[in-house]
Amino acid sequence: TLLAKNNRLGGPGSLPKGLGQAPLGRSLRVLNLSGNRFAEVPPALLGLRGLQSLSLGGNRLHSIPPDIQELRSLEFLYLGGNFITSIPPELANLPSLSYLVLCDNKIQSIPPQLAQLHSLRSLSLHNNLLTYLPREILNLVHLEELSLRGNPLVVRFVRDLTYNPPSLQELAGRTIKARSVPYAPSDLPENLVRYLSLASNCPNPKCGGVYFDSCVRQIKFVDFCGKYRLPLMHYLCSPECSSPCSSASQSSTSQSESDSEDEASVAARRMQKVLLG
Amino acid sequence: MEQPVQTETWKARSLEELIRILHRIFAEDKVSVEEVQALMESYTRNLVDNGNGKFNLMILCWGEGHGSSIHDHTDSHCFMKILQGNLKETLFEWPEKKGNGEMIKKSERVLRENHCAYINDSIGLHRVENISHTESAVSLHLYSPPFDSCNTFDQRTGHKHKVKMTFYSQFGERTLC
Repeated sequence: TLLAKNNRLGGPGSLPKGLGQAPLGRSLRVLNLSGNRFAEVPPALLGLRGLQSLSLGGNRLHSIPPDIQELRSLEFLYLGGNFITSIPPELANLPSLSYLVLCDNKIQSIPPQLAQLHSLRSLSLHNNLLTYLPREILNLVHLEELSLRGNPLVVRFVRDLTYNPPSLQELAGRTIKARSVPYAPSDLPENLVRYLSLASNCPNPKCGGVYFDSCVRQIKFVDFCGKYRLPLMHYLCSPECSSPCSSASQSSTSQSESDSEDEASVAARRMQKVLLG
Repeated sequence: MEQPVQTETWKARSLEELIRILHRIFAEDKVSVEEVQALMESYTRNLVDNGNGKFNLMILCWGEGHGSSIHDHTDSHCFMKILQGNLKETLFEWPEKKGNGEMIKKSERVLRENHCAYINDSIGLHRVENISHTESAVSLHLYSPPFDSCNTFDQRTGHKHKVKMTFYSQFGERTLC
C-alpha cells in the first residue's frame, strides 16, 4: 500500500519511472494519490499490474487515458473531484472493476461500452453534466448503487423532428446483415469489411435489424421502483421502431409494448439504489 | 421539546458519562435543544445507545464523496455531531403540496469537526454530504423520539418517498441522518 494523499505531486517526475517494474509492479495493491496536483494520470503507474485500488480524487485530471485498461487487477477506482469531460470506452476493459467513482467532474455522456463492466457494483456519477444515460446501463447485472444527483437529466425529450434517411451504403449494409448474406474479407474492400463489422443491433424486438450511422435517437423514461424516472437513450434503426423499455407519457410512440418483456422493471428491482434525490 | 426554565452546561468526558447525562436530560418532559447540543459538542467518539425508547444514538461513517438524499425527520429532533472530517449540510424548503418543480435551497454550510448541528421538520429538510475527495467523515447522531422511517425527496421534482432506515454503514447514499 502506498498512501501519498494531500501533497503537491503533479509535476514531471512526481512518480519514479520504475514504479511499474518489479518488485513493486506486481506487489503494490493500494495507491492513494488523492488531493494532489496531477493534470494527467501519471503513465508510470499504468504498469502496476497488481494494483487493486487507485484513488486520484481531488486532482486536476481532464481526461482518463485509454491505457487505464492496463491495470488488469483494478477493483476500486476513485476519480471524483477532477475536471474529466469524457470517459474512454477502454475503461470497460477492466475485468474486475467493482467500484467506480466519477462524481464531481464535467462528464457529458457515458459510453454504452461501460455496460461491459460485468463486475460493477457501484457507480458514482453525481454532480456531472449528464443529460441522459445509455440504455445499456440496464445490462449491468451486478450494479447495486448508482448515484445521479446534480446532473441536468432531461425530464422531457423532444423527438428529432428531422430524420435523415439512411445512405445507400447503409441500406446495403443493413440488408447484408439482416439477410445474413455471406461474404469473405476477400470479397470486399477493407473499408467496407470494417464498416460491416460496426453494425449495431436495433433493440426493437419486432425489428431485429441493424443500423450503422443513421439512427433515430429516442429517450424513454424508465421508472425505478416507482421512485425515480431515468432518461435512457435508445438508438433505433427507424422511426417505426420502438424499444422494449417501459415508457412514460412523454414518449410519443404508437406501438404497444405490453407484449415485450419489461426489461426495465427487472433492472429496477435489481438496482436497489438509484439515487437521484 | 420546549425551552425549560434553566439550562445546564454539561461536560461528558467518557461515553458512559455522555449516555448517563443524556438519560438524565431525557428523563424530563422538557428538554433544551441548546443543552443537548452543548453536551454533544463536549464529547468525542463511539458506540450506540438506545436511550430506553426516548432517543437513539448512532454513528455514521461517510466515505469520500458520499452524501445522503434530501430527507425529513419524521417529527423528531435530530442532533448531528461531527466526530471526524467535515460534512456539508444543505437546507431545503418543504416542497409545495403538489410540488412539481426543482426544490428550493435555503442555505448551505460546512460543519467542521466537533461541531454539533440540530434540525427538525419545522426548520426544514436537508441533505448531508461529505464533499471531500480525500478524507472520510464520521458523525454521531441523536434522534428523539427514535424513528426508523422518513421521507426522501427528489430534488428535481419535490416528490417524496417513504423509506425505512437501516443501521449499518453502507456504501453510497444514506437515508438517515
